[in-house]
Amino acid sequence: MRIAMFAAAGACALLAACGGSKTSQSNNAQANLREEGRTDPTANTTASNAMVLLAAKPVSGDQAKKVMHERHEGMEATGKAAKGLKRELDKGSPDLAAVRASAAQLANLAQKSSGWFPAGTGPNVGKTGAKPEIWQNPQDFAAKVAAFQKAASAFNAVAKGNDVGAIKARFGDLGQSCKACHDKYRAEMHH
Amino acid sequence: MVHWLLAALIAFSWWSIENHHTDWHIWSGVSILTLLLFRLLWGVVGSSTARFSSFVRGPRGVLDYLHGKWRGIGHTPLGALSVVALLGAVSIQVGLGLLSQDEDGIYAGPLAGLISSDASDEARDIHEFWFNVVLALIVMHIAAILFYRLRGRSLTKPMITGRAVLDPGTQPMKRGRWWVALISLAVAFAVSRWIVAGAPPFGST
Repeated sequence: MRIAMFAAAGACALLAACGGSKTSQSNNAQANLREEGRTDPTANTTASNAMVLLAAKPVSGDQAKKVMHERHEGMEATGKAAKGLKRELDKGSPDLAAVRASAAQLANLAQKSSGWFPAGTGPNVGKTGAKPEIWQNPQDFAAKVAAFQKAASAFNAVAKGNDVGAIKARFGDLGQSCKACHDKYRAEMHH
Repeated sequence: MVHWLLAALIAFSWWSIENHHTDWHIWSGVSILTLLLFRLLWGVVGSSTARFSSFVRGPRGVLDYLHGKWRGIGHTPLGALSVVALLGAVSIQVGLGLLSQDEDGIYAGPLAGLISSDASDEARDIHEFWFNVVLALIVMHIAAILFYRLRGRSLTKPMITGRAVLDPGTQPMKRGRWWVALISLAVAFAVSRWIVAGAPPFGST
């Protein structure tokens, strides 16, 4: 009796935690993203464009410091905008004007991001969350940057409309494109 | 059972966040919240040895125990300090987690919307730091169990079975009522759902 009761207690505790629709939504977003990546014929060209940028010219000295500083500020601004957007979109009735402004800002930052990772700006040069793996897998990294830019543009486009459901879905895709890269190429940072 | 679920979920929370499964991490934290709420309620209305009033003692009680003057069942006065510290530290950890948001604007605890974005980032930083405190208490907790085991006294067996060899004259444990447990659980469950919904009037507007 006692064991059955406690087992029931455990099961309920677990139930209390799940059942949130947010998780399944983000899973769908991830699935969509994967599918898009596979079927979209433009994805490859964008990836190689980004790769050209990454491979462009290794930097050193003050130039490297400058890029790393720009990258840090840019990522900080990107995170801040994304967190603001999440807060706004989690509300019952989001302020769409604010969402549009942040969406445009994100799309702009995303375009810049492919210039933030020239060779010579790794952790051996200065304090950074960028892992050396970035420059060991340039093709994969470039594809992830391209996916991020694509997701940011798609989100910016949909944010111009009034379909909050679609805006949230594209924002979910965008988040997954951040995560795909950060999980693999960002080191733990303690400010 | 509550104890082992708690231990497993704390381990799972650690593993999931280290491996970037933030959604599982939040889910696990909310489960811990439910268990904590149940344990706090059970500490008031539960079996005699589970009630905080039956085992939490002041400094005098702890000193008496250390001098070998304590005769009783359940948590010792010194063990009670450990119970209170562990429950308190884990509660603080869960509270911080509920208020946290991630660095990228992808995930947020259910109560993050109640405070500003900067405050939520701050909560995450403290949440990360506070886990070290929780870990330290867990290490001390396990060390104590091993210490008693080396002195020939198993604490895990009576914990699991509820049976122990008692000194003559001590009162045995009074079991809790099953329906009180069920109600406590329902309350813990309801409060968790309320928090998941974003608390007061279901989140910020």
